[in-house]
Amino acid sequence: MTGKELLVKTLNHEEVERIPWVPFAGVHAGKMKGYTATEVLNDADKLYECLMEVNRLYMPDGQPIVFDLQLEAEILGCGLMWADDNPPSVTTHPMEEECNFSRIIEKTDGRIPMVMEVSKRMKESVGESTALYGLFCGPLTLASHLRGTKLFMDMKKRPEEAEALFDFAVENGLRMVDYYIEAGIDIIAPVDPLISQISPKNFEQYMTKAYKRIFDYIRGKGKYSAFFVCGNALKNIPLMCETNPDAISVDENLSMAEVKDITDKYNVVIGGNIPLTTTMLFGNQMDNMKCVVDLIDSVSIKNKNFIIAPGCDMPYDIPIENAIAVAEAARNVAVTRERLKDYEAVSDDIEIILPDYDHLDKPLIEAFTLDSSSCAACQYMWEMAHDAKNKYGDGIDIIEYKYNKRENIARCKKIGVPALPTLYINGKPAFISIIPGHEELYSIIDGLIKK
Amino acid sequence: MEELLKKISEVVAEGEAEEAVALVKEALGKGVGPLTILNEGASKGMDIVSEQYNLGEAYLPELVLAGDAMTAVLDVLFASMDKEELAASRVGTVVIGQAKGDVHDIGKNIVSALLAVNGFEVHDIGTDVPVKKFIETAKEVKADIVLVSTLLTTSLPYLSDTLQYISDSGFRDKWYYGVGGGPVTPEFSKKLGVDGWSRTAFDCVEMCKKLLTDKKPGQGEIIMVDSEA
Repeated sequence: MTGKELLVKTLNHEEVERIPWVPFAGVHAGKMKGYTATEVLNDADKLYECLMEVNRLYMPDGQPIVFDLQLEAEILGCGLMWADDNPPSVTTHPMEEECNFSRIIEKTDGRIPMVMEVSKRMKESVGESTALYGLFCGPLTLASHLRGTKLFMDMKKRPEEAEALFDFAVENGLRMVDYYIEAGIDIIAPVDPLISQISPKNFEQYMTKAYKRIFDYIRGKGKYSAFFVCGNALKNIPLMCETNPDAISVDENLSMAEVKDITDKYNVVIGGNIPLTTTMLFGNQMDNMKCVVDLIDSVSIKNKNFIIAPGCDMPYDIPIENAIAVAEAARNVAVTRERLKDYEAVSDDIEIILPDYDHLDKPLIEAFTLDSSSCAACQYMWEMAHDAKNKYGDGIDIIEYKYNKRENIARCKKIGVPALPTLYINGKPAFISIIPGHEELYSIIDGLIKK
Repeated sequence: MEELLKKISEVVAEGEAEEAVALVKEALGKGVGPLTILNEGASKGMDIVSEQYNLGEAYLPELVLAGDAMTAVLDVLFASMDKEELAASRVGTVVIGQAKGDVHDIGKNIVSALLAVNGFEVHDIGTDVPVKKFIETAKEVKADIVLVSTLLTTSLPYLSDTLQYISDSGFRDKWYYGVGGGPVTPEFSKKLGVDGWSRTAFDCVEMCKKLLTDKKPGQGEIIMVDSEA
């Protein structure tokens, strides 16, 4: 079964043998190839290259094309501030003084052609095995981009005007749905972080109709839908379920166990909610693996209506090895559980004798991996070592240490391996998480052989 | 008179700016002192919203609306106060801004408004603020508290830079330094060694009040206010 089939099965509310995993690698995708956020959000070739790398290393069952809530706002006249390591932010609100609905987004506007092109290329490259997500800005957040804080005054004092602005935002959203469907996208998701900032009463007043319309439209077109929110939206979760999306995605501000109990009652899939900052950005690999296992353990019904995902758009600088660890844990829960136990249990009583790195007969490449048979990045790292072995034959030695044996865990601890996978050459970390190119690796080996 | 003050608090809480201003003018006309109207009427309206917010009964639109009503009321009250009354109505002086690289302003604006309506003299220096500007403004306005927030993980280092700059400029024992925003966790704040951290806009008001009464800048335990804990 492909990852896409697994995800589709989940969205059809069937029991699955493994919980699907969807990394929200928006601007973070750029980091994987050394591009800035601005570059990947504007350049089709760079975006495609980065998304393919996400697909290769993180082995997702589903993945988004872009995670940029400012794409429609930019077209509709909002000023943006661009950054190297974040999505752009809205700086001006064109409807702050007066609402004007004369212009609606078209397929040829702004960055839509670029996003559609990349969606099509991704569909052709990985679309058989990976479900593709098309994200657009939800009506509440888009309305606030356009109107600024005055939107909230409108909601209280001028409900007809607020209603009209939401209708306009929905019209634009439905256009995005059409464009994504034309580009071959499988799952379409309005992203509306501000939903957590309005009361259930306001949700019913303004959002219920808007979202029912969006999800009915997507379903009518034969596609799956998801409703993304951020923040503490607990009180609105039942109402969100009632708008009838196939899935909801939440961040770490909510307890997954608590939310899933609610969404299960409505038979809606729930996705989330690995903490972005404390765990993915600032934690280490073990923290991330533990987080996934704990997340799964926390919910009562595990094998149905559940997607493992980051809480929201992944920060640019998340260490790649952390996302690899999440992917590995999500795909191999039982093995990860054992690893974590071993990690806790391993102490200094396992004697590890390290090679005498200063007096080696020939270059020694040691690949420290989670497990090259299950972790994609580990597999590519180990393959590089193999390729070197094929080239140099008896001129070098290679060995893999998989992180599923207590001795290897102890070895990792003793040598101080900073992340998995890492390629050590003669006892020094040469490539940490980043898989080297052949020339890069061979030039180091050549240098050592000459010595 | 109590009835009138109670009514002022209710309409402020409901965000009815025009009605609130009319009632405040009525009270002033009846000889009620502006400080009494502020403390016994309008401010209590903000307390009502604060409580509703903490209970999950009020949300962003309600906050914006009540803040707007309170601002309108304050314009009238401040205009009617003499120098002594104005001084007595001030709790402290705050410089607030969004860290460099971050232009999100909804949350910060709400914190600014709430601090202002709670008696703080607020100098909001906007978004994407360079570190140096916090220090320059704080010196200029003789600040008691410097507040920096961000919603971006990439701007987190500027929170540390600002603290360092404050220390290097010799003001660590003069100004309280507080931080907040989505990715600014309590753990991160503790590590930074700031004076205060708070989760919500109302928590921030509470935090600032506590800073001024319970602590000296740069000394002792960090003050954390988290209504969701």
